[in-house]
This record gives sequence, C-alpha cells and structure tokens, in this order.
Amino acid sequence: MVSALAKAAAVAQAAEALDDQKPVGPGPAKLVLQVNGHRQEIAVEPRETLLDVLRNRLQLTGAKEVCDRATCGGCTVLVNGQPIYACMKLAFEMEGQEILTVEGLGDQKKLNAVQQAFIECDALMCGYCTPGFVMSLTALFNEKKNPTLVEIKKACSGNLCRCGTYPQIFKAAQKIAESS
Amino acid sequence: MKSFEYAKARSVDGAIQLSTSESRFLGGGIDLLGEMKEYIVSPKRVIDLKTIPNLDRIDTSTETWKLGANVRIAEIARNDQIRATLPGLAEAAAEVGSPQIRNVATLAGNLAQHSRCWYYRQRDLRYLKRGGSTCYAREGENKYHSLFSGNPCISPVVSNLAVILAALDGRVIVRRGEQKVTFAIPDLYADAWNNPLAHNSLRPADLIVRVEVPTAKNRSTYMQVSEKRDFDWALVSCAAAGQKTGSQWSQIAVFLGAVAPIPYAVDSPLLERSGLTSDSIASIAESLASKATPLTHNGYKLPIAQALVRRCLDRITS
Amino acid sequence: MSEWPKEPKQLGKEHVRYDGPIKVSGRAKYASDMQPGGWLYGMMLRSEWPAARIRAIDLQPALRIPGIKAAVVANNPPFIVRFYGQEIAAVAGVSKQACLDALRAIRVEAEPLPFVVKEEAALSDASPRVFENQPNAGDPRILQVGDPNAAFQSADKIVEGFFQTSVQLHHCWETHGNTIQLNDDGLTCWASTQGISSVKDGLADNLGVPLDRVHVISEFMGGGFGAKNGAGVEGGLAARLSKEAGGQAVRLMLTRFDEALAVGNRPSSFQKVRLGAKKDGTLVAYQLEAFGSAGYASGGMTAAGGGGAGFPAPYIYQIPNSRVQQTTVAINAGSARAMRAPGHPQASFGMESIMDEMALALNMDPLELRIKNDPSEIRREQFRIAGERFGWKAKYRAPASSPGPVKTGVGCGGATWGGGGHASEAEVQINPDGTVEVRCGTQDLGTGTMTVIAIVAAEAFGIEPSAITVKIGDTAFPASGGSGGSTTAASVSPAVFDACQNALRDLSVASGLADPRGSNWGPATSRLRINPVVARGRWKEGLSGHGAGGVQMAEVAVDIETGFVRVNRIVCVQDCGLVVNRLASISQINGGIIMGIGFALYEERIMDATTGVILNPNFETYKLPGAADIPDIEIVLQDMPERGVIGIGEPVTIPTAAAIANAISNAIGKRVNHLPIFPAQILGLLGKVPGVPVEERNGETGA
Repeated sequence: MVSALAKAAAVAQAAEALDDQKPVGPGPAKLVLQVNGHRQEIAVEPRETLLDVLRNRLQLTGAKEVCDRATCGGCTVLVNGQPIYACMKLAFEMEGQEILTVEGLGDQKKLNAVQQAFIECDALMCGYCTPGFVMSLTALFNEKKNPTLVEIKKACSGNLCRCGTYPQIFKAAQKIAESS
Repeated sequence: MKSFEYAKARSVDGAIQLSTSESRFLGGGIDLLGEMKEYIVSPKRVIDLKTIPNLDRIDTSTETWKLGANVRIAEIARNDQIRATLPGLAEAAAEVGSPQIRNVATLAGNLAQHSRCWYYRQRDLRYLKRGGSTCYAREGENKYHSLFSGNPCISPVVSNLAVILAALDGRVIVRRGEQKVTFAIPDLYADAWNNPLAHNSLRPADLIVRVEVPTAKNRSTYMQVSEKRDFDWALVSCAAAGQKTGSQWSQIAVFLGAVAPIPYAVDSPLLERSGLTSDSIASIAESLASKATPLTHNGYKLPIAQALVRRCLDRITS
Repeated sequence: MSEWPKEPKQLGKEHVRYDGPIKVSGRAKYASDMQPGGWLYGMMLRSEWPAARIRAIDLQPALRIPGIKAAVVANNPPFIVRFYGQEIAAVAGVSKQACLDALRAIRVEAEPLPFVVKEEAALSDASPRVFENQPNAGDPRILQVGDPNAAFQSADKIVEGFFQTSVQLHHCWETHGNTIQLNDDGLTCWASTQGISSVKDGLADNLGVPLDRVHVISEFMGGGFGAKNGAGVEGGLAARLSKEAGGQAVRLMLTRFDEALAVGNRPSSFQKVRLGAKKDGTLVAYQLEAFGSAGYASGGMTAAGGGGAGFPAPYIYQIPNSRVQQTTVAINAGSARAMRAPGHPQASFGMESIMDEMALALNMDPLELRIKNDPSEIRREQFRIAGERFGWKAKYRAPASSPGPVKTGVGCGGATWGGGGHASEAEVQINPDGTVEVRCGTQDLGTGTMTVIAIVAAEAFGIEPSAITVKIGDTAFPASGGSGGSTTAASVSPAVFDACQNALRDLSVASGLADPRGSNWGPATSRLRINPVVARGRWKEGLSGHGAGGVQMAEVAVDIETGFVRVNRIVCVQDCGLVVNRLASISQINGGIIMGIGFALYEERIMDATTGVILNPNFETYKLPGAADIPDIEIVLQDMPERGVIGIGEPVTIPTAAAIANAISNAIGKRVNHLPIFPAQILGLLGKVPGVPVEERNGETGA
C-alpha cells in the first residue's frame, strides 16, 4: 500500500527529475567546466562547441580548429583521460568532465616525455597538428608503457599531419617505448 | 549551427517527454553535430541522451547479450567478452572512425546515423534525400554509392555495426512513445530501401534503448576495404557469422555494407548446406553479380564485395 | 669572406628545432590564435553559385544581428561570380555565433549563369564560357626542338600513352587568414603567410595606408606550400571590417570548406605522350599534347603566380627532338596557385610512366634506360646509389610476375629543381653578456628557418645555437623576401652569415681581440660593457647555389582482388647543396614524399558537373595520407658543401607519384594512367569491373 506521503514524494521526485531536464538556451547560459584542473565558469550558448569555448573564451589556443568536422585531430583534448575531438562536442555536454588540454601538461620549461621526444626526434614542422598528436600520444603512454609500433600508429590514426611528420612522430613514440 | 535549446535527459521516459517535433537526440554527436554545422538539420532542441543512467551497460548474463544504447564503440572494440564470443562485432567496432570518434560514438548513434552521400551532405544543394526532386548521384559522381538499390535513392548504409549485427541476428529495442518496438536489423533499415527520404525505419521521436545479440553463432568476422588503410569509410564491408557444432554448420549469414541502403543479405541456397567448400564459397560470391545494378562509377564495388564474401567465409570456416 | 667554413661545427649536423618547445607546449601563437583586446570575429560569405551575375547585396539584415559590428561587400554589385565559393561579403562581430547568423541574414540577389567545371567539356566550342568574350581554352603554347617528325621516322621503338592528374589542394593545416587592426595609427596584421612583405605591400595598396604605418607579423604559421602570398581577398576584407568597426581588431580565418574552394590548387593535367628511341635505348623523339585547368583564371597570373597549367616537358631526360604543345583551359572553379614544385609532379608522372613503357618495349631495365638518358651526372649517380640501396636489380621483375593475390612491383623516377638564393637582409646584435639576437624579415612555414638562422649564427661565432635568439616574421626586421621556390635557406643563410661577419669585425674592434670567436667569445663580449654590437648583412654570392636533383624508388603491394594498394618502401637519394640542419632536411624529405603519396593515391578535388559545386570540401572525402598509410622511407641525404646552400622543400615531392605509379604498373602488368590511383582504377585495368572495357590506350605503337 502506497501512502499519500510516499506518493507525494514520488511526484516531487519526478518533478525534480524533470527540472533536472530543464533545457538551457538558446541564449547564453551559465556553464561550469573543469579544465586543466581549474574550475571555469562562463556564459555560453548551447551551440558553442568545446573547441570554441577553449580557444575563444578561455584563451587556450593550443587545440586548433583545422577541419571543425572530426576528421583531422587538430582539436584533440583529453576528457577523463580519453582523446576526443573538441570540435564535435557541445560545451554543455562537458559539465562534470575532466578536460585536459596541451596547456595542462606543462609549459615550455616543463615538458612531458612525449613533448620532449617530439623535440629530440624533430616530430614537428609547422606545429599546427602537434598539440593534437601530443595529446593522443600522452593518453597512449598513460595507458601503456611500451606500446608496439602498430599500437602507436593506431593511437595516431585519428590525427593527420599535412607536413608529413609521421615518420618522426613514430620515432619519438618508439624512443619513449624503448626507454621504459 | 543555428541556435537551439540543450537539455540533459535523466531517463528514457524523460527523453521522450522532452522531445518535440523539432528536437533531435544527441548521442556521441559525430553525426548530428556534423549535420547541424552544415545546416542540413537545425533542431530547436537537442536532447543529450548520455546522461540517462544505465544505458551504457553490457549485460552478458544470459545467452542473448544486451548492449545499452549508450555503450561506446571503443568499449565494444576492447571488451574481452565480446572479443572472445562475438569477434566480428569487436572487429566491426574497431574499424569505426578513429580512436577519438570511438571514444564518444554510441552504439545507437552508429546504427541510426544518416546518409554520407556527398550530395546529401552538401550544404547548398536541394537534394532528393532532403526533399528535393533530383538525385544528382545517379548520373553524377557515384563511386561511393549503392550497387544494389530498391528506390530512387542510391545512398548506401554505412554503419559497420549494422552489417555485423545483421549477420548475428541482432535485434534493436526501440521506445516509440509509450510503446516498445523490436526491429530485426533488416527491418531497422527497410524504410531506406523503399523511401528516398528515409535513412532507416526510425521515426523522429523513436529512441533506441538497447541492442540484443544472440550468442548462438560461435563464429563471426567482419572485414572492410577502404581507400585508406585506417580512418576511412568502407568502400564495401562484409560480415559473416554462423554456428559450428562439431563439423556441422548452421545459420550461416553473410551481409554486405556500403553497397545498398540496407545491410545487404547475401542470399544463397549454398549457405543452407551443412558444409562449405571453397567451390561453394566461390559460387556464393559469384552469385552477387546477377543482382548488382552498377552505376557509371561504382562497378568496382562488385569484385571487392565478392572478394570480401570469399574472405569472410574462408575466415570463419577455417 | 663569402665562403662557408671548411670544417663546420654546426652546419650539416642534426639540430633540434629552435621553435620546438614553444610548439610542442601549445604556446606558439599563430595568426589564428591572436586575440588583441576587444577583438572581433570575422567571417566571409561565399557564392553558392558556380556562375552568376550578382545584382544586389543587402547587408542590413546582417548588421541588425546582435553583436555584429561591421559588414562589407567583397565587390560592389553588379559583378560576375565565376566559381562556387567566390567571395561575396564579410561580417565582423563579437562572437563566431553572431557571425554565423549574420552571414545567413545577408540577402543576395543573383542571376545564375551557365557554367562548366570539367576540363574536357570546357574545351568544346559548345561549352558555356567562363569569360563571355573569350574561349575557355587559351592559345596553345608550342615549343619545338629539332625535327621530331623525322626523328620518329628513324626511331626503332615508339610508345604512346595518355596520362591524367587531378587537381590537388594545398590544405595547409592552418587555414588562410589574418588578424588585422586598422585604425588612425595605422595597420597591424598578424598574418598566416609565406611573405610578410607581400602582405604589407598588398594591404598598404589596398587600404591606402602609408607603408611606414603598416606592420605585418607572422612569427609562426601553419603551413603554406605555395598558397599563402599576399594578403588575399580575406586580408583586405578583414582590414575594411576593422576600420568600419571603429578600429577593433578583426580575426578572419577561412574555414576548411573555404580552403577547398578559393585559395589555390595544383592544376590538373591531361597528357597525350609519344616517345621514340633507338634499340640501344637512346631517346630520339618526344611529343606531348597536353591541357589542364588552372581554374577560372585561365592561365593568367593568379595570386602568388603559378600561371597556367603548363609544365616542363620532356622533364629531366635528354631528347634532341621534341614538340610540346600545352593549353590551359578555364573552368568555373577556384584558380590555381603555386603548389609545392608547380608543374613538376605532373611532368614527372607523365614522363616517368612513358619511360617505363619504353623500357618494356625495348626489353630493357627501366633503371638502365634512365641512367642512359639522364644528362645530370648528379642524378645518374643518385640513380645508382638508390638502385643499390633499394636492391633494384634483384627486385625488378617482369610486370605481373609476382604470385598473387597480392602482387609486388617496383618503380622509380627523378626530379629537378632550381632553388638558390635571392636578396635577403638580416641584422645581428651581440650583447655584452655574450647572448646574440638575429633579426630577419623571413618566414618559417615549418621549414625550419628559425633553426637555420641559429645554426648559421652559431657557426659564424663559434658558439652554441642555444645562445642565439632568433626573431623572424616581422616587417620591422630587415626585408628578406618571400618563402617560395625552396629559396629561403639559400637566401637567409648567406645574409645571416654576412651580418655575422660584419658583427665580428665590429666586435673585434670593440674588444681589441683579433678573433673573438669560440673560446674568446666570453672575454670579447664582456668588453662591450653597455652597448651591444649591431650589424646588418645581406645575401652575397658564393654561399648558395642552384639546381637540386633527387631520385626515388618505390615498392608497392597490390591486392588484385580488391585493388587496394600498399606502398611498402620508398628509397630517396637527395641533394640540396650544403646541408644546414640534417634533422630538418630529413623531415622535409619525409614530408615531401608523403605529400607525393597523397598525390599518387588519395588526393583529388571533385567537382560535380551538374551543379558546379565541390563534392569533397573536407577531409572525409578529400583524403590525406594518415599514420597507417606511411611506408618505410629510407633516405640518403647527400651533403655537397662545395655547392653552397640550394634548398630542399620542393624537389622531394616531385618523383614520388611517378615512382609509385610505375611500381603499381609493374605489379599488375597494366599501365595506371590516372592519378590518384584508387582501387576502382586497378580493378578496371584488370578487367574486373562490369561494363568497363579495358582500354588499350597505352603501349607500343610501332616503328
């Protein structure tokens, strides 16, 4: 037998759940993002992508807009440790997720193993695809200490480079894999 | 993109309640956001399904496994149980896009994705599949289009998972309002065979909740040929599955992808037989030629389809 | 002195990139990253018609969109649009989203006109005309040497072929564009460019701003490949938007979609070739009838040159009698711009393919046929070295002789390129603490210019490159010319070296030390006390040279059931005169080869004949080589210091497609004659495609 109180509680809960579903937008609405360990509160339209927000609102220009269609990897960032294309995510989808961009790895004086190996092996030329590759490979080495060349190529398969630095990128990744 | 409202669905009922005549459901976003950026579709409300709890489970507790609509493609590709028991499913998932795409793309989204025909996706063309009166592909640039078709639209199905799930007798469970509708894979795409405007048999407010996959077929495989070696749509894809008990074969099914608006069943009485010789495999592949209706630029898909049928059947029977 | 040191400490060694740390950490700011205070987002509206008379453009609805601060037209109506994607208007606003809405609000009144987008159709008299008052096909250019008719009569073997290459797009990773601020103080432009001076001149002229008030900066840029010279239509529009918005900076970058339409491409080629030789392999006669399209600007000089669709023929081989006829045909498509070795990859593909046909007709090793007819001693030697490294003798077999269903084959080709140095100036500052700053108004496209400068200065002073600060990409620095033609290293190195020599002289005087270099550097510079030494220098003869060669060999595996091609191995032997940075030179070679693989197997801009639009304005269907498509690449980089710095960026992309096409033909026993080579072509040649006859257009025709 369901008491009146329990029924009321159920209705209230359903209403709360519906409230939880309350749409935001189309104009700017408050959004809280976790980026590189920092809490960012911004007013954003639902149609702004994560990439738009990183580059134009948060001045994190490491992730690049190269194709804006999830085909090239220039906008690769890590979300909860996994590489994704920031251009194909609405900023609002990213609430509660841990977002890591290339800026979050360090700076020119403090480089991680992938970045260091890229420099040593000349795995960059114009540099525009570089942050994306760095993020994809950082994720790989966080998961596996000595991946094979096949695994390295797979990890890079969502990142394109027009300058054609792939051979040097593979070399850099293999250098890290061999040193562990 | 045009502006829109964004809502997080908290339950399947909630998602359905949120939906309107001008809303779209958001899974991984790779397909929907791509369409929105080209103004092919401009919903007034986007409903995020990823926030629905428990829709990303893989339940292997019974003989028919249940994969939730929100299961990520990456998970399907790396799941140890799937790789061991339904290897074709894992292989198909591993070929979807790139790691970045597999990390976000959902099972339901992969099945429900819209046509990749480049005329359909061209932002400035009023095209048959978008309500226009002309199909430009038929007499135009059709190298990627259907080898078999049933209606004026020759845009082929491109979902890798649809092809293997067809071979595995998968079923898609859909909420249509209050109702629950179950589609076998061929039925899920049947409307695309008949209706130029349709990408599949789903209605706008239909919500895929899970896919059920029987595990009776203990042999399965998936292969595709693309122009590039990775991160490329299939020119032709193929899945084969069957049950081997001792030296007897049963329930062998072979489907082709990217050659028809639906996962195309390779029908042959030879598949009913209990044993498959290399001669009968060659015959089965050959038989495709009689049903194919090549266009000006896509006849090359026929030999590729035949090669893949041979190779898939060879692989599962070896 | 105008001579490189005989025993260099830095030149020719492996040096890590100067701009490595800033790029790998994502801190490098490109034109597309600039966000000066109060900056506005800029965006362009492009023609949705392949040809149209634009009668009116109403910007008012766009100006009413909240957040929009300015809107301008690209041209005042009425004007004619001649390609899908031609510039119509531009807007600037506080956000990308506002701009997107504003573009959709602009009302354009257009009368669509007939159009043609396929070259073969455009040749016909019945075709719609791109320009009303002239035929689409320009006058053919005919070059004749000797007496080809007689020579063909005397030839022992004659082969013929028809070869075709597609339009290739630069697809620089950073799109074209600028961040520009134009106010009463002047004009500042952060550009993504290969030529800061060309941007400065262009903007000054276009906007009527005095040159001394125009400042262009391009410290880092994301790739050019020949397409980024001048400010472009987009630069002019951004400047006007900035002015109209009251002097706020406007960042207007093209989208990837735009890049496929309107900012350059490599022309197509359709080549009918005939080659005659004596039975000992001496080439005696050559004939070419070719046409191709450079877009709507039918052969006229386009932005950044590139000219028409012509190319050098008979390319690298010595043939005493030849007749070459070339025509550029206009179509309603974006016009060509110089693209990495303009004309040469097309030339190489046609020539090397017909050479292999001749080798078959003569029953001669293709490598021997080449060495016999190559007038360049350097390249003959390169063919020999490559042959040994590659194992050519063992690997070359009769066509289609490897067991299937995956057949292997080999092919080769050679390249020639100019390079060399041009006028360039640099300034060097030696500080009292021993640090050095070099300033040069040049560009680094990823080509490694910054590092070259550091290496040259370090060599000159006997110190480490890490002690050098390099500043480039700023019109405030001494002018150094554009970066094209593989001439930057050959221009900048001598200029920097000269500046360093002048600086050394001054330092010597100031410090009292006859030779302030090396271990004397500390003592010498510390005597400067407060004032640095600042000296300028310019490019001089003796340190750079002309004429690079290069050969490449390819091994492929072709699945003859599916038509899928895998390039397994490439061997490249390349010269570039004096090697400045070995590491970066190797990277350039890899990069050029990979772009050549794209040209061979994946890249073509696809226009739709019926609607006149581009069907593949994105990377989904305009395919670029990815990680899994990269073969093993072995490089022999020849260091020839006695020839001076020559340049390497372009020769390395020339013969790749030729070598791959020859390898595929060798594998399957049929001549592939159309780039890019997709499975469809392979299967068609093998007779496996229903309804496609196996065309016998190529092969031996007699004598």
